Amino acid sequence: MGTTNSTLSKIPNVEELMQETGFTPAHIVRLYDRFEALDKEKTGLLRPQDFGAINRLAMNPIGDRIIGAFFSPGQETVDFHSFVRILAHFRPADKKRPKDPSMPEPVNSRTSKLKFAFQLYDQDKDGKISRAELLQVLRSMLEMQVTEEQLESIADRTIQEADLDKDDAISFEEFRKSLEKVNIDHKMSIRFLR
Amino acid sequence: MEDDEARWRDRNRKAKASPRAGGRNGKPATTEDEEEEEDQDEAPRKRARKKKASAQDSEEEEEEDDRSVKRKGTKAAGRKKKAVKEESEEEEEEEEEERGKKKKGGKVTSKKQKDEQNKEKKGDAKGKGGKDKGNGKDKKKKNGKYSSSSSSGESGDGDSLSEGEMASLKEEVEEKKKLIATLRNKPWRMKRRLKLLKECQAFVEKFEGALGKGKGRKLYAYKVMMAKVMMGLPYGSIPRKTVPRAEQDRAMDISVLLDFGGYCKYSILFYGFYNAERTIGVLQFRLPLSYLLVGVGIFGYSLMVVIRTMARNSDEGGDGGDDGQFTFAFKMFTSWDYLIGNPETADNKYASITTSFKESIVDEQENQKDENIHLRRFLRVLANFLILCSLGGSGFLIYFVVKRSQEFANLDQDELSWFEKNEVEFVMSLLGLVCPPLFETIAELEEYHPRIALKWQLGRIFALFLGNLYTFLFALFDEVNAKLEKEKSIRNATIWGLNEYYSNYSSYHNTTDIPPPDIHPADVIRGPCWETAVGIEFVKLTVSDIQVTYMTILIGDFLRAMIVRFLNYCWCWDLEAGFPSYGEFDISGNVLGLIFNQGMIWMGVFYAPGLVGLNVLRLLTSMYYQCWAVMSCNVPHERVFKASKSNNFYMGLLLLVLFLSLLPVVYTIMTLPPSFDCGPFSGREQMYNVVMETIENDLPAFIGDIFTYATNPGLILPAVLLMVLAIYYLNATSKNYQNANLELKKKMQMARDEEKNRRNNKENTNQVMQDLEDLLPNRSLLPPAAAEEKPPPEKVHEKGSKSPKVAKRPGAAVNGKGVNLQMDVLLDAPNPKAAVTHPPGPRGPSGNARGPPPGPARGRGRGTPPSRR
Repeated sequence: MGTTNSTLSKIPNVEELMQETGFTPAHIVRLYDRFEALDKEKTGLLRPQDFGAINRLAMNPIGDRIIGAFFSPGQETVDFHSFVRILAHFRPADKKRPKDPSMPEPVNSRTSKLKFAFQLYDQDKDGKISRAELLQVLRSMLEMQVTEEQLESIADRTIQEADLDKDDAISFEEFRKSLEKVNIDHKMSIRFLR
Repeated sequence: MEDDEARWRDRNRKAKASPRAGGRNGKPATTEDEEEEEDQDEAPRKRARKKKASAQDSEEEEEEDDRSVKRKGTKAAGRKKKAVKEESEEEEEEEEEERGKKKKGGKVTSKKQKDEQNKEKKGDAKGKGGKDKGNGKDKKKKNGKYSSSSSSGESGDGDSLSEGEMASLKEEVEEKKKLIATLRNKPWRMKRRLKLLKECQAFVEKFEGALGKGKGRKLYAYKVMMAKVMMGLPYGSIPRKTVPRAEQDRAMDISVLLDFGGYCKYSILFYGFYNAERTIGVLQFRLPLSYLLVGVGIFGYSLMVVIRTMARNSDEGGDGGDDGQFTFAFKMFTSWDYLIGNPETADNKYASITTSFKESIVDEQENQKDENIHLRRFLRVLANFLILCSLGGSGFLIYFVVKRSQEFANLDQDELSWFEKNEVEFVMSLLGLVCPPLFETIAELEEYHPRIALKWQLGRIFALFLGNLYTFLFALFDEVNAKLEKEKSIRNATIWGLNEYYSNYSSYHNTTDIPPPDIHPADVIRGPCWETAVGIEFVKLTVSDIQVTYMTILIGDFLRAMIVRFLNYCWCWDLEAGFPSYGEFDISGNVLGLIFNQGMIWMGVFYAPGLVGLNVLRLLTSMYYQCWAVMSCNVPHERVFKASKSNNFYMGLLLLVLFLSLLPVVYTIMTLPPSFDCGPFSGREQMYNVVMETIENDLPAFIGDIFTYATNPGLILPAVLLMVLAIYYLNATSKNYQNANLELKKKMQMARDEEKNRRNNKENTNQVMQDLEDLLPNRSLLPPAAAEEKPPPEKVHEKGSKSPKVAKRPGAAVNGKGVNLQMDVLLDAPNPKAAVTHPPGPRGPSGNARGPPPGPARGRGRGTPPSRR
């Protein structure tokens, strides 16, 4: 564990970070290694093109949105702390610890996971996934052989299914409802962060 | 009885055959030093004898004890007093055997001579002991021991040596080594030198392994384990493990081997190889019993696994998207797999997502279709009729072919062409190849929803395969019965021949004790051994299945892809997009193929244990091969429809196949008598008798009693009844739960609808209220305007369809149909009688929020009933 401690000592405010995100020292070390591997120029900051090296994201139809989620609006770089905070969304929910009502909702709760996913689709950040935004995702997700007409009807159907208040857009509440049965804890968790 | 005889014979022959078994030169030949050695080990011997004398009645126990004690004695390098020898000649022989090993140098007697003497002595011994029971038993034990010792080359040596013995052995090994090293310089004849060298080397090799020195400790242990504990005697020791003389010339021919004849037929691959000896080796491994238990246990285990998997699958109950409410949203937001990092996989994922969306679209379209029901019914009946015809035809064809092959089997094998020999497998594979596409074509008549169509298709292919398999089985049973007849005659002839031999022998030699006829195992007359024949059929079927599958992939996929790809440069039309195109990977068909393959294994494995290994090889190779084929020359199915959300559809098929393949096997185990001269159950009336035997002989008496009670029909019937009742009860409970589940689902749906409606209605009701507020005060002031009152019908219709409940005007609500919000509105309305005296209009003006803003002039409401037509 000597390496763990030495790595941890390099990170400022590591205690606070762990408190906030619920990661163990081993997690932090692992993430730090990852961060350094991505940080080609050793500036301590990651730029969007650094994320391009991850081929899983390059393959992803909404990969650039996921990368975008790491950067708060207007900023070109992300430091380790923000990096870890974002990734904390993907920490599997801890089953053992009983829920403490006095504590604020942890960042890896179902709601915050969903919120994170919702933001990926809600590009203009107006709190609603509009039809145009859906179409954008659909276009990137489906192959060329699907006609525009079919795309539109899929988007329409999606909205029709999820939309409760008939505003032709999906709000977060509706998004949550429509994914009620999905095991989000399972889908939006990175195993090694357990 | 004759079986006992046969077994006994076998053992004796073994004993003779093994080079070390014959070591006895007769009493007088015993040299001085031998006697000296024997002195040292008197005590254990005596113990052994005492035991033998005391325990006469419980045969088995005695045998075991005795053997173990004897083993100890043997390990101590077999030393004994002359007196002991006199009492039991046989033991001495064994001793001799041991000694023969130890002091090869000392003995110069030629082996043949020894053997002869040995035989004679045995005869004597038997003559002495043949009458009284105890002695007979003794012999039996001896035989058992001989067999085990000769099977591994050396029985007890490696088991548990004491330290002193270990040391002396080591010393001896060293000595031998030295001898080998210096043999060159010894002034002996070449012949003698060579012989010595061989013996020494064998000795060193053996004991070095046993002593844990040199290279061979693990290998030795493994060899002992395999040879002694599991397999019993090696190849060539007894008839069932030897290729018959007539077949020996061609036994190694590749064509024979490919048909699983020759050496294959008499190898561990097949049932016939296994010996019926009750126990093998020091561990008392009960081969027949374990053969039966494993054979049946496989089924039990498989059943358990399949059912557990099914239960687990139904537990999961889909991934949430299957209740049809959020199909699209679900697909939209959750279909991407975030672990995909490979461009090709990503492409596949894109394709699969696309297909799944298309599937949903088609689903929607299918839901809205309406059609000519009579025509469709007719077409469906027609399609089923056609398919039944082809099923029956294929069944008949197979029956015909199998019958023909039985005729061929009676002819000379050399005259038959390759096709005639493999006709059955060929036809079965061909049917499996041709019929599914045929079914698919016919199924297009039916115009089912693709998912249902797929299920039908799978069901039909299933019926085809199963029908074929069962026809094949029935034909096989015919053959088995014929073989059983044949076997009976051979068996009688064998008994008769043996009796003849005995009587001749006794009259010639004037003795009642007769050694078994000295026939080489290859020359013994034997029965047809139907079990092995069945096993061979199944193995052949599996192999031909493998061949056909592989060839289909090679030709149907690879060659086609090559042609399409490269001929496309110089062809009239676009081959890739047009007619031949690339092959599609048929997932469901492949899964079904796997299921059937598994069924075949289940059926065949009892009679051909080697089938498991073969199948493992097949699965391994076919995984890589098919993977290559799929990646290189297939395109994804155009319209993939999962047959079922969870895999329980396929698991159900697997369960059915398991059950159906269990039937014939259990039937044969329970009813057909096993062959008299091959397999682990030879000499028993029924295969399951081996269990009874074990219960009687090896388990304490009370367990036998328990079994007797447990198998009493009086106990079994209530137990079955109880189980049926339990099943009934559980079934009823599960139904209740299901109902409750449905009910809850319905409620949830209702709640959802209500919520949706409430949201929609809020605006509407507000609007209505507004309307009313607007209208009510000056209602009476306005002149009746009937024309204005009637809204344009199309518009109303449109709006009404959007929200039917709201479309009802209060007037209609009086009829008791409007239940909810409108009622509240209605309460405010004066003049309730008006609506009653007149029939309500077909459609009132809509109170929809988006309706045309009501002008004050239209404010009649219900106030002017006559005006509403």
